[in-house]
Amino acid sequence: MGLEILIENVLNALAAGITIGCIYGLMCIGLGLIFGIMKVVNFAQGELLMLGMFASLYLVTGGGVLAFLGPFVGPFVGAILAGPIVFVGGALLHKALIARVSGLRTAGTLDEGHFGQLIVTLGISLILQNGGLILFGSTPLTVRTPLASRAFEIGPVYGDATVFLNKARLIACAVAIITAVGLWLLLEYTRLGKALRAAADNPTAATYMGIDVERAYRIAFGLGSGITAIAGGLMATYLSFSPFIGLDYVIIMYSGVVLGGMGSILGAFWGGLTVGFVQQCSALVLPPQLQNAAIFVVFLLIVMLRPQGLFGRSAERA
Amino acid sequence: MTALLEIEGLCVAYGGLRALQDVSLSVAAGQFVTVVGPNGAGKSTLFKTISGVVRPTAGRIRFQGNDLLALSASRRAHLGIAHVPEGRQVFKTLTVRENLEMGAYPESGRAQWTRTLERIHTLFPVLAERATQLAGTLSGGEQQMVAIGRGLASAPKVLMLDEPSMGLAPAVADTIFERISQIHREDGVTILLVEQRAVEALELSDHGYVLETGQVVLDGPYETLLADDRVRRSYLGLSDA
Repeated sequence: MGLEILIENVLNALAAGITIGCIYGLMCIGLGLIFGIMKVVNFAQGELLMLGMFASLYLVTGGGVLAFLGPFVGPFVGAILAGPIVFVGGALLHKALIARVSGLRTAGTLDEGHFGQLIVTLGISLILQNGGLILFGSTPLTVRTPLASRAFEIGPVYGDATVFLNKARLIACAVAIITAVGLWLLLEYTRLGKALRAAADNPTAATYMGIDVERAYRIAFGLGSGITAIAGGLMATYLSFSPFIGLDYVIIMYSGVVLGGMGSILGAFWGGLTVGFVQQCSALVLPPQLQNAAIFVVFLLIVMLRPQGLFGRSAERA
Repeated sequence: MTALLEIEGLCVAYGGLRALQDVSLSVAAGQFVTVVGPNGAGKSTLFKTISGVVRPTAGRIRFQGNDLLALSASRRAHLGIAHVPEGRQVFKTLTVRENLEMGAYPESGRAQWTRTLERIHTLFPVLAERATQLAGTLSGGEQQMVAIGRGLASAPKVLMLDEPSMGLAPAVADTIFERISQIHREDGVTILLVEQRAVEALELSDHGYVLETGQVVLDGPYETLLADDRVRRSYLGLSDA
């Protein structure tokens, strides 16, 4: 009897870890693009996640334009559409502010613009948090879907032990994986993707190739914003959120990106997956307050053993 | 001969420091022009001003009659100006092949991609072997080949090379010079070269400029420069005897 319960708990934690991990993976890819690849420190990434949640909420609920899609399909279409909306926001933010502290303007300077980025993005983060408080209020909200309280049952696998796969999370997980693969294909194989990577690698040389570096950075920043926003929209279907939710996730995003290895989109995804997995599985043995502590214990262990990250590759010749 | 690239009275200052003073230079289509001079003479600044990453305080740059200064840096590459920068500056995190593809970013490069890639691989067979390797993991000589190949990939009208032999073993540098000469002779690409190894560079060229502390102190064909005692001693390492 005791063994059955244990097996059920472990299997369900693993299932939750993988589904939530994939969504975290997508969230981390957004930051992975901005921080890992373009090397722009962005502390407002958590707020981009928050904006994704609210964008999805306002699209789907009440008199939102997607309300006709109903509670089953709507929330996921809303999450996907939050991407382009926040993409535009991110690109404008880059044009107005971030461009002044990144790219060609800071290439070759002592700090590569990181100090400026730190201050600017922290400021943006504060403005978005408190602006959100004024606009959206502080009541925790959620994008309701009946799927969040339904699950596929697998089993019983051992005695009475059954695995429950939450339908909302499962669909969110699938959307996250598809979006992540799409972005990876874009960066790896298209002319635009290669130009973005070239501009990030060496802005001056990219200019010599005829690449408009400022525009490349703007697109990359917008893409990173939009991707994290899609993850936010997906998360909004299973958790409640308020304008300050970004704070909880910005640290998770940074640990995911660093874990996976800077400069690799796939790495950021695996890093996020690892973080989500550790967080969910730690629930088996640790009280909920210590779940984030568990993330950092694993984080420190991995960074100690593999300083280049799980999937980092060293491109510099020794 | 009509000038492909024409520079008149170019002045550049970094803060209060004058890097170029009243520099005039002209490159005709099909020519091989070399600029020699000591460190800090402003050679790289000259190239960066042509490419547009450095803005001049005065002067004019015309390319095929177009006013280059009216164009943004990234637009200039699309006119057919390829800059192979000092210190190679390859995209380290991109593969060799992707580096070359980025060279072909301008329309002219894309249109002729299959042909130019084949040509680049003929000139530098090692780049075909290492196509999928990250450029950052290559040796200095190989990175220089990537940088030159990347410049060629845009099917440029003028190829500007900034110290392509820097930091390379003499034998490798010789190969690089040979390839540059080949690119000039066989592909008919106009070459503008900045080089410390003045003898080799000037031997290849139709016309040479000597740049000192931001000013052109002498210019002319190889024979003229060779006849100048100061140049012989300072740059060519030849004694009077």
